[in-house]
Amino acid sequence: MAPLVTYEVISQNTNLFLAFIIGIGFGWVLESSGFSSSRKLAGVFYGYDAVVLKVFFTAAVTAMIGLLFFSLFGWINLDLVYINPTYLTSAILGGVIMGLGFIMGGFCPGTSFCAASIGKIDAMVFMIGLFLGIFIFAEGYPVWEGIYKANFLGTPKLSESLGLSDGILAFLIIVAAAIMFWIAEWAEKKFPQPEY
Amino acid sequence: MKTRAIITIIFLGLGLIIAAVPQNTTHPYKLTADELLEESYSHQQYYSPDEVADLLVNKDPSIQLIDLRSPNEYDKFHLPGAINIPLQDILSDEWRDYIDQDVKINIFYSNGSLYANKAWMITRQLGFENNYVLEGGLNYWVETIMNPLPPASTSPDEELAKYDFRKGANMALGGQAAVTQTDDEGTPTQKPEIKRKPKKQRVQGGC
Repeated sequence: MAPLVTYEVISQNTNLFLAFIIGIGFGWVLESSGFSSSRKLAGVFYGYDAVVLKVFFTAAVTAMIGLLFFSLFGWINLDLVYINPTYLTSAILGGVIMGLGFIMGGFCPGTSFCAASIGKIDAMVFMIGLFLGIFIFAEGYPVWEGIYKANFLGTPKLSESLGLSDGILAFLIIVAAAIMFWIAEWAEKKFPQPEY
Repeated sequence: MKTRAIITIIFLGLGLIIAAVPQNTTHPYKLTADELLEESYSHQQYYSPDEVADLLVNKDPSIQLIDLRSPNEYDKFHLPGAINIPLQDILSDEWRDYIDQDVKINIFYSNGSLYANKAWMITRQLGFENNYVLEGGLNYWVETIMNPLPPASTSPDEELAKYDFRKGANMALGGQAAVTQTDDEGTPTQKPEIKRKPKKQRVQGGC
């Protein structure tokens, strides 16, 4: 019965250990998919490479289908799965800042560690910027606390907001993903980047 | 390209299945009939009047007495600190936060223990923790705490100590009898551990 740690099937420490193993796997997949190249991530924004989009969307779709089937079989209690609370203003602001950082830096936080571990200097510089950002955010927290906590929506689910069942929404997302992949590959052909 | 087409079709198929089946909304921690029988048979849902009296006298903040009788009966007499939730309202949203929580120990009571046991079974089946039953209900409470019968002078010490405790508790809880209170070593009351319901855990994610 999952979530394993919530039902005390495994201890907090085992949970962390499993997270460690999965984290190594995650890093390995990121590296082997070529995500340690900053051009890969920037490529999403210029249209010449949609691997990042495809990998993360495939992961999301796989996890979504898996969770829904596990719930259907009674293997996981979705009520106990943590949902990130939505603070609308900070979600939008954070999205813009992250997006800008992605284009300019060419990494997302995970891939920057990946690339730094294989010795890429741009990734190390990116990491310095990352920690600088964390430091500024934490130290200046009283200043932006108001913005940070504005427009709190609780933990809404897309399916609930749209009034659809989880299953129908999942199906629509899969269809959307398939269409998106098709468009992305069309864009890859349209804006080719010969050597990068 | 061909494998991709196959994978896409598989995903779409799975999506269709999940869209077509009804959502699983059952509470997975629902007890089976066997488990419920086991729990009710082992009498672990009961709090004896002596235990409750002890908690009340000590003004233990962790207990919440819940009177399941009608508001009329509740107005006439109820135990100190009890709130009134008539049995038919036990599932109403108004009381949900009282019944489904993991902070206090709820102790149900009515005149006998029938209503309290019904309420306990319903809430237990819903997976709620920390709901208990006052053994014997108010009738037994009146018999033991409010009008304790003096034991025979040849009774063992525990019996005498229990009697003294009951007299004392009755007085402390606003009863009429005034007796000198002796130490109540005779009533070892075990406070059950508060069982914590699994809580949502914060997990870190993202790329």
